Amino acid sequence: MPKKNIEELKKEIKKLVSEIAEVSEDELKEDARFTEDLGIDSMMALEIIASLEKKYKLIIPEEKIPTIRSLKNVYDLLEELYLKE
Amino acid sequence: MDETWDINKIQQILPQKYPFLFIDSVIDINKQEKKVACLKNVTINDYFFEGHFPNNPVMPGALIIEAMAQASIILYAVLKPGVAEKHPDYYLGKVEAKFLKPVRVGDQLILEVSGEKILGNAGIVKAQAKVLNEIVAEAEIVFGVKPKE
Repeated sequence: MPKKNIEELKKEIKKLVSEIAEVSEDELKEDARFTEDLGIDSMMALEIIASLEKKYKLIIPEEKIPTIRSLKNVYDLLEELYLKE
Repeated sequence: MDETWDINKIQQILPQKYPFLFIDSVIDINKQEKKVACLKNVTINDYFFEGHFPNNPVMPGALIIEAMAQASIILYAVLKPGVAEKHPDYYLGKVEAKFLKPVRVGDQLILEVSGEKILGNAGIVKAQAKVLNEIVAEAEIVFGVKPKE
């Protein structure tokens, strides 16, 4: 299966995060901080991580998790793990 | 089965005690596949039947979830023995559950739990409760694990 390009990937990730975090896609700005601006708690963050792993069949290392603080961080991480593998 | 768990080990790992201990034995462990199966024998001696309900003993759905959550702690302890042996606090974060059939006196309730994502401080599992190989309830459980201060 050919890999998705980054724009496609971003769109899918945004949708996934928006659904789990119950934040509208408009509100979910790339730089908005998950906890402080969007009220995403650690349990939701874990759900987001598990869903990304399942969807893209990858493993997000535990030490990377604390670095995920905004949608942009998610994009960067997925770019690193998914597109460059 | 990768390791054996007797009732002493179950009681040592689970913070829940009588009359709130809903695991009688661990019947299967597969560390590689991140799965465990536990058993709860449902008997008329279970204290909750006194009120739920008089003359119609049905195991409360909330307690089926509790039994699943306790089986999840067993799974967690199998995968993260170093964390579990220090007796952290386990917090239920989120549960999405479905109940398909009533669980009654005399049933052997099998709780099968598989790990979706297990971390040092949290976990997500999928759980199924079965009686005679039929699914009676299923749930996705998100929980947190926090060392005692």
